[in-house]
Amino acid sequence: MSERRPPTDTDDGTAGESLPDDGTVGERVPDGGMTDGGTTDGGTAHSDRTFVSGEHDADGHAFPSTSEIRRWLVTTNHKDVGILYVVTSLFFLLLGGVLALLIRVQLWAPRAVGETILNPAAYNQAVSAHGLLMVFWFLSPFAFGFANYVVPLQIGAKDLAFPRLNALSYWLYLASGLLFAVSFFQGGTFAGGWTMYAPLNVPTFMPDVGASTAVLALVLFVTSVTVSSVNFITTIHRMRAEGLTLRNLPLFTWTILLTVWMMLFAFAALLAALLILSSDRLLGTTYFALESPGGSLLWTHLFWFFGHPEVYIVFFPALGVMAETFQTFTGRRIVGRKWFIAAMILVALQSFVVWMHHMFLTSINLQIKTLFMVTTIGISLPFDLMVFALIYTMIKGRIRFTTPFLFTFGALLLFIIGGITGVFLGAVVLDYEFRGTYWVVAHFHYVMVGGVTALVGGLYYWFPKMTGRMYDEFLGKLHFGLYFVGFNLLYFPMFVAWQTPRRVFDYAPGLAPWHKLATIGGFVLAASFVVMFYNLTKSAFAGDPAEDNPWAYSTTAEWAIPSPPPLENFPGVPTYRDGTLSFRSDAPQLTAEADGGTAVGSTSSATPPAAYDAAREAHDEPASHASIWPLALSVGMFVLFFGLSGLRGGSFVSGAMGAVYLASSAVGGAVTFGSLLLWALEPFDAPAGGFGEAWPFAGVENGKVGMWVFLASDVVLFGGVIGAYVFTRVAFGWTGWEPIPTDPIPGLLNTYILLTSSFTVVLALVAAEKRSRMGVVASLVATFLLGVGFLVNKGIEWQHLFHEGLWLSTNVRSSTFFLTTGLHAAHVIVGLLITLFLVARAWRGAYLDDSQTVEYFGLYWHFVDIVWLFLFPLFYIL
Amino acid sequence: MVSTKLYTAIYVVLFVSATIQVLVEFAGLAYWTAFAVIIVLSAVKAILVAAYFQHLRFEPRSLTYLVVTGLLAALALTLAASYSIL
Repeated sequence: MSERRPPTDTDDGTAGESLPDDGTVGERVPDGGMTDGGTTDGGTAHSDRTFVSGEHDADGHAFPSTSEIRRWLVTTNHKDVGILYVVTSLFFLLLGGVLALLIRVQLWAPRAVGETILNPAAYNQAVSAHGLLMVFWFLSPFAFGFANYVVPLQIGAKDLAFPRLNALSYWLYLASGLLFAVSFFQGGTFAGGWTMYAPLNVPTFMPDVGASTAVLALVLFVTSVTVSSVNFITTIHRMRAEGLTLRNLPLFTWTILLTVWMMLFAFAALLAALLILSSDRLLGTTYFALESPGGSLLWTHLFWFFGHPEVYIVFFPALGVMAETFQTFTGRRIVGRKWFIAAMILVALQSFVVWMHHMFLTSINLQIKTLFMVTTIGISLPFDLMVFALIYTMIKGRIRFTTPFLFTFGALLLFIIGGITGVFLGAVVLDYEFRGTYWVVAHFHYVMVGGVTALVGGLYYWFPKMTGRMYDEFLGKLHFGLYFVGFNLLYFPMFVAWQTPRRVFDYAPGLAPWHKLATIGGFVLAASFVVMFYNLTKSAFAGDPAEDNPWAYSTTAEWAIPSPPPLENFPGVPTYRDGTLSFRSDAPQLTAEADGGTAVGSTSSATPPAAYDAAREAHDEPASHASIWPLALSVGMFVLFFGLSGLRGGSFVSGAMGAVYLASSAVGGAVTFGSLLLWALEPFDAPAGGFGEAWPFAGVENGKVGMWVFLASDVVLFGGVIGAYVFTRVAFGWTGWEPIPTDPIPGLLNTYILLTSSFTVVLALVAAEKRSRMGVVASLVATFLLGVGFLVNKGIEWQHLFHEGLWLSTNVRSSTFFLTTGLHAAHVIVGLLITLFLVARAWRGAYLDDSQTVEYFGLYWHFVDIVWLFLFPLFYIL
Repeated sequence: MVSTKLYTAIYVVLFVSATIQVLVEFAGLAYWTAFAVIIVLSAVKAILVAAYFQHLRFEPRSLTYLVVTGLLAALALTLAASYSIL
């Protein structure tokens, strides 16, 4: 693009550059009719169009324009982050796709070892990396690109609750993906399948450094997901427009809401599993070692407790896209909307009680297998309801076969096949036959890539909104044709050739024709994406300018504002007070204390824009949109984790690479720490919540909700680690297991110390509320000293144990003791670093007017205390 | 909300019950009796800290449900996994 705008112009989206400034399309007739969350009323937005431009300028923060690289490095705006997610996830689709094609080339014919195209170890890596990349680094992030872009628009928020954390989620995601890519070059990446079963996953059987890096990359990815979940949960619950109750929430936002709740708890369990695995690989604990009781079963429990909800985590956003596009392109509100939502909630809950159907061929007892067979068959029922709701919506509406609808309609067909073939696997007896075969491979590709199909539909659906330009409809339909044919040619033969063993490149020669068909299908599917990339890349820069609402009968709020939307989204405060979307032109006064949904100021929709501007200056701090620290922090963590991958049995690998890993750890640690510090010191205005609907967290400010949501995930993290201990001890024989410390008194002493430190944090908050600077400082210093005392006491205890010959790798009893109490100690250390920061700021008089920071820290510190209240009896007494 | 006096009283209760846990261990009760007493004491302490130090008692109940949900998930995993190998 030739035209460049001055850097102060904060217009959003590249396509805006060739559009006339105030948009081209002028007034548009509101679509009316059947709605999600009331009818959108585009007219209101348009009448304020000139004012929309003015709003940008008022925000003159020297925020770089979208044509500058710098913009994309510092942005915290949800729309920018959404675009970054979509583009990056498509990059990982290419990476995972190339690996898939390599697999298909290998499977063209059954080959013995020695005659293969990829060498056997490389094949194992390709299969494992393909699965991990597609599930973690493509599917969910692709969906979260849309979630980032669309959810705040649909709920009427200016941005997510914590914009810098949102940018951090993205950069950690990219860092984790790049770290995974690096793992290929460290002797080979993880090669034990995407399920990473034990004991194959420990260094004894998989010694490459790259395998450790892949595990650490996943840890980093989970960090990103957790941050993201906290952010979205807070945003969707606390930042909905007035009148947009959960009952009226658009279905895409509903699916994202349920997805992030599942993510919060499921990924915490995965984090527990991954931390234990990292500890086994890097520090030398023996949880998953061959000789540990229940070691391999422990992994399957932890992994699948995450893994089954994960199926719905990747599928729900696709379901949301289907629901949105079915409504738009049939011109019909979804049939049985209330029941559709109820069914999704039911699935989200049930998803946590079906995990053992992945373990029917393990040694778990028959009673529990039967129970989980029942829950598994049960979970298919709400899905039936959803499928029929979608089908009836089509029957009752008038279908328009645009590209987005073709994809989501195709997705429905594929999902029906995927779902029905899954019911076979839910039956214990059939699973005895099907497990580990291509039946499973075909089934979950129909489900998961079926989901991708809907998300591709979502990409076409929101492309005009995100870029301000229309894609080429003919190429879109061509893409669909190739895609659908390629998809079925690729995956359907796998059902027929189901006797092929999964993850193995050799198979019965009689099945070869089916595999040849599948390979051809794979290449057709890949070719279809070439069409898509060509179409979308060309259209993003040279397509026809898109209207604000290119789709007749669309009903959600993102279509009521310009394409692409301005930086702060709405020309005023969105409200559904009257049942339809309109924009109030008075800014509600939001104060930090009383923003619980009641603080909305007086309303007078007739206020002219000029008055609004004045109101805005008086009440509404301009929101911040830029910070470099999310990027810096992610770079630090990338370097740190790369360094840590060189650990083996508690020390760095020998030789020059060992020095590189050591240096990398040190540098990465320093950058991580420095970025966190500068992040904490940076002034940044996040949008406040509670301006509209905030159920069920009305009256609790965003920061506190975020903290509690995070702590709830930490409950599951510690639950997973403590659960691993309990499980291992049960497998060992509960009463035959002696506690590692023979003397409970040092543990009791530490209990006293932690309880006292909790008390001093309480005193700090009391002092802050009484505006006593010395009181705050003294209490926090006492907390710090007590925390140090705790660690010193623990250090002495560990040293004694070490001299008695007990260390992490001695046996599984000592492994569980050191890792669980070590994870707790790590939480204490983090708390102490925060305490130091608080002391320094309290010394300068902070927190006297605003004690929230002290309060939030207290919530964390008390949680760490509570964990110890259970660790102490479990590891010292019982 | 809560007076410093009440905070202090709770702190004393926590301190004492931690001591009792160790005394129970040394009292020579049957293993599972002692187990039950000690775990119940831990749970009571945890509830006290959450209710007063984290002042969940004075917050909207939704925050309590949020934490309880996390706890239930962790317990479901631990108990079902342990049962599966009995």
